[in-house]
Amino acid sequence: MLNIVVMIKQVPDSSEVEIDPVKMTLNRTKARNVVNAADLNALEFALRIKDKVGANITVISMGPPMADAAIIECMARGADRGILITDRAFAGADTYPTGLTLAATIAKIGNVDIIFGGDETTDSSTGHVGPGVAEFLGIDQITYAKEVDYEDGYVIATRDLEDGDETVKVHTPVLITVLLNSNIPRHQSLRKKIDAIRKGVESWGINELGLKPDWVGLRGSPTIVRSMKAIKEPEHLHKTVPIDQIDTIIADLVSKNIIKVGGK
Amino acid sequence: MSEFDVIVIGAGPAGSSAAIKLAQGGMNVLLVERGDPPGTKNVSGAVLWGDELSRVVPDWERSAPIERFVTRKEVAFLTERSKIAISYSSQDLMEKKSGKIIVRGKFDQWLARKAKDAGAMLVTGITVDKLVMDDGKVIGVMQDGDVVTSDAVIVAEGANPRVLINSGLRPKLSDHDVALGIKETIKLPENVINERFNVDSKGGYASEFVLGFLEDGLLSGGFLYTNKDTVSLGIVASLDRLRANGMTHSYDIMGKFEEHPFIKNLIKDGIPDEYAAHLVPEGGLASMPELYGNGYLVAGDAAMFTFSNGMVLQGINYAITSGLLAAETILENKTKINKETLSSYVTKLRNSYVLSDLYTFNGIQNVTWSDFTQKTMPKILDSVMMSMFDERGMPKKHLMQVLTAAVKSNGMRYTDLISSGYRMMRKM
Ligand SMILES: Cc1cc2nc3c(=O)[nH]c(=O)nc-3n(C[C@H](O)[C@H](O)[C@H](O)COP(=O)(O)OP(=O)(O)OC[C@H]3O[C@@H](n4cnc5c(N)ncnc54)[C@H](O)[C@@H]3O)c2cc1C
Repeated sequence: MLNIVVMIKQVPDSSEVEIDPVKMTLNRTKARNVVNAADLNALEFALRIKDKVGANITVISMGPPMADAAIIECMARGADRGILITDRAFAGADTYPTGLTLAATIAKIGNVDIIFGGDETTDSSTGHVGPGVAEFLGIDQITYAKEVDYEDGYVIATRDLEDGDETVKVHTPVLITVLLNSNIPRHQSLRKKIDAIRKGVESWGINELGLKPDWVGLRGSPTIVRSMKAIKEPEHLHKTVPIDQIDTIIADLVSKNIIKVGGK
Repeated sequence: MSEFDVIVIGAGPAGSSAAIKLAQGGMNVLLVERGDPPGTKNVSGAVLWGDELSRVVPDWERSAPIERFVTRKEVAFLTERSKIAISYSSQDLMEKKSGKIIVRGKFDQWLARKAKDAGAMLVTGITVDKLVMDDGKVIGVMQDGDVVTSDAVIVAEGANPRVLINSGLRPKLSDHDVALGIKETIKLPENVINERFNVDSKGGYASEFVLGFLEDGLLSGGFLYTNKDTVSLGIVASLDRLRANGMTHSYDIMGKFEEHPFIKNLIKDGIPDEYAAHLVPEGGLASMPELYGNGYLVAGDAAMFTFSNGMVLQGINYAITSGLLAAETILENKTKINKETLSSYVTKLRNSYVLSDLYTFNGIQNVTWSDFTQKTMPKILDSVMMSMFDERGMPKKHLMQVLTAAVKSNGMRYTDLISSGYRMMRKM
């Protein structure tokens, strides 16, 4: 049977996060914790493959102990197994050691055919982690996927690129990062959630993964944040104009080089 | 064999209290809640009156997220340009800790956590579809096509009882059964609240309003409670009047309330934080479903257990008490659960204030939701006050004369006033 891993992250609900105007940091205290939205789209594609050909889906997440709720939620939607990668040593990791840690987890699970992840997270939006994991594992990757199918050892996926769609067919093992809103994730089920709570989430730390403290967490992170700046949104000018003036206004904007009309 | 001894639907105050009690009694309990975390779907202001929780969580006031204790309670009539209020402040209110001002999001999460700590399995983010019957007995719940079995079910799903309706156990709600509540949370610095409402940082202000300034036909109450660094402001509006009016939306009423000269000042410079709507049971006995059946019990708002007389709106305490009594009923009959044994739930409710109050105040809706109380009274009071305090260098009149004049100018006869007033005193 196919072995699928879905990488997820618990994030503060982005609609509830506020920016502290003094400290310039995100105030997450009030926000509910949710599964990163694109990760749910990734899980949904994994579940569709499971529905089609049968698969064993393992959800993994690197995060604090409370992130087990996010994994249980994924199991309540249909994943079979959950592993939380949690250790003080992992704290403060940027995307590089995060990719390394997740890759080590996948290597330890073993014989994984397809790895899914969300394209990016709402709380850091780097989009690095998926590709990083693929590189550490030395396998092919499909990024920006908005449609995913599986047939006889191949993943067929449509990538949403700037100048058009691209459909690719890649032999497993392969890592796929899925775009936000590319499908409608199924709901959690009571039956599955009860079973998930009973089964529980496995917890792996640095020792289980055979990693060195120097490679992970803050110490293993090459990124240095020097300072943060809040960007002031430019003021928007809202104007209602009569419909017969639209052509004149467009012509004016084009002449001032503010917009371009037609072609690239 | 059933998978669980008891399934509780809804982790509001009724459901969580029941689950705590059942789990403490050694039962294998499943507590299912639609919101994730619990409390995210709940709206009320809210003041929790009473101390029933101490029966299952001793010293609960110490660990519960309580914003403030009510030290100033007000009941006020608002006309377009005036406010006539009875304001009660007492140091005893603080000492007795009668009213606890809570924010439901935090409180419900805390209470559900207590149920989990007591040993119940808490499953959030799941909406139960209906009860499952076999041969006339409830044998569990259905969700997404799956059946999860239990020996008994407590339905504590709140004021919008979809499970009961879907299971054919109560008719659909009518406009007489429920009113529409809207609540806005507004952020204000703690010290501003203390100053503006004349309370210290532990004390709190809670007020109910009669919105006498609304256009003809519309009836609505209002409320304002001070939390730690937010205030809860809201309305509870009559649905059938809203529907009859047709032109006005509930948020229009809310808007007018917020813009009222005596409310506007209280929330000045506040930052709106949350805005939500929720149903409030208002129908009393006439709206009540069967409270029990073979294998199930109904508690809290789902059973329409609320009390409001214009001076307080209470439901959380009724929810907690009925939840505890439902749990008690099951614990006492755990080896033999059927319609007969579960009927003792109703006896327990009658012996407690829950059903007693509903019987005592049966029909109070006709008084609280009347044009007399909400429209005429405020106007008469306003005229009386104005003629008493507007000094024009004229000979003074007896209060009786002032009152008679005020009644007349509002198009009423004196005898109407007496009979309406008498009815009101009797019902309240
Ligand atoms: C605007 C407003 C102000 C109020 N102010 C006060 C006040 O100041 N003081 C006071 O005492 N009372 C007040 N009330 C009334 C009080 O909120 C209710 O009486 C009380 O919440 C009832 O508790 P409950 O547990 O029965 O129901 P709820 O608190 O409604 O809890 C029911 C729970 O069940 C969940 N649920 C529903 N259906 C399902 C399902 N199918 N599957 C799983 N879960 C489900 C819901 O998400 C909810 O969490 C107010 C109400 C409103 C609307």
